[in-house]
Amino acid sequence: MRNGFGISMNKSEETISISNNNGENLLVLLEEEQRKSGYLSQEFITALAQSLDTPVSEIYGVISFYSFLSNKLQGRNIIRICKNLPCFLKNSELIIKCITQELGIKPGQTTPDGRFTLVLTNCIGACDKAPAMMINNDIYGDLTPQKITKILESYK
Amino acid sequence: MADITVTINGNQITGHAGITILELAKENSIDIPTLCYCPDLPPMGACRLCVVEVAGSKALVGSCHTPISQGMVIQTHSPKVMATRKIIIELLLASHSGFCTVCDKSNICELRKLAMDMDIGLSRFQSKKRYFPIEDISPYITRDLSKCVLCRRCLQICNEVAKKRVFGIGYRGFNSKVIVDLDQPIDKEVCRDCGLCITSCPTGALSNPAQIGEEKKGTPLVIRG
Ligand code: SF4
Ligand code: FES
Ligand code: FES
Repeated sequence: MRNGFGISMNKSEETISISNNNGENLLVLLEEEQRKSGYLSQEFITALAQSLDTPVSEIYGVISFYSFLSNKLQGRNIIRICKNLPCFLKNSELIIKCITQELGIKPGQTTPDGRFTLVLTNCIGACDKAPAMMINNDIYGDLTPQKITKILESYK
Repeated sequence: MADITVTINGNQITGHAGITILELAKENSIDIPTLCYCPDLPPMGACRLCVVEVAGSKALVGSCHTPISQGMVIQTHSPKVMATRKIIIELLLASHSGFCTVCDKSNICELRKLAMDMDIGLSRFQSKKRYFPIEDISPYITRDLSKCVLCRRCLQICNEVAKKRVFGIGYRGFNSKVIVDLDQPIDKEVCRDCGLCITSCPTGALSNPAQIGEEKKGTPLVIRG
């Protein structure tokens, strides 16, 4: 499989070959893989490090820096609730409590059926609609406990 | 190369074009404290301890990575500079969880020396402490990252001198940490025993593994009650 970044990847054999790439697109490569596989496996990280001639620690450093990248297997839908000040002032704590109760998991955990992963994130740029959260790529703002159940229901 | 004349603390001083403010100060025995700076290696500008005041510049500038330019007017020990350096050390001390009284390296610790030089006793700031498990599985190096101040000197030495690129920086903000591979404890597979990072570490975070009992070969001392 080929894509615009000159990376061809065969998932089953975990082989990666990269042409005309010098590591400058590291974030793009990581994001791409995250979208495809849902997370960044140890095998992927090691193989990528080798092909870019970059230390594993550097790649892991990037992954652990960005909360949108994950090296753990995640649920089918990822809920990111904003934990920064504007949302906090608009009572995001209540939203967090509401969702943890609804799903029976804490931030950082995944539901046993693999349907949701819940994480807290930094500002997602929706402060005008605080308290806000994202599910996958959709933004939900002006959240109230009443809205939560309905929103969650639409994700299978 | 052409020479450049600048004013440091009211005195005209001349140095080669291309050198940094810190280097010029050193040549002229002006003492600017540093923490992340490794002589002869590319500057990282990570700790900000070396800041000085430069006329015309709004913010304080890092002397370890700012080259001198013609006519610069520099203050290395103005009240503003001193207050800033003091806060930096106090903030480092606030989250540093080493206890000097029981630390093997306290007598050669640069952090402690800097605190002493600046007359800092207890930090004014209260903060969460950074605690990490001690990594002592390698026969060559023991890492106690609770004592690490994130100066990145070990990265610099390992990357630039040993050329092994063992360390990286993981996570962010308060959770930042010097990591090895996928944040695994350092072992003898990834790091051979060059020991460069151990000597470069300003604190007690990196050390030679303790060899308890190996120095003393006699019968163990038994104390009878
Ligand atoms: S381990 Fe030592 S040299 Fe490395 S970043 Fe921490 S304090 Fe600096
Ligand atoms: S602070 Fe919550 S979206 Fe910006
Ligand atoms: S010594 Fe200049 S920033 Fe650390």
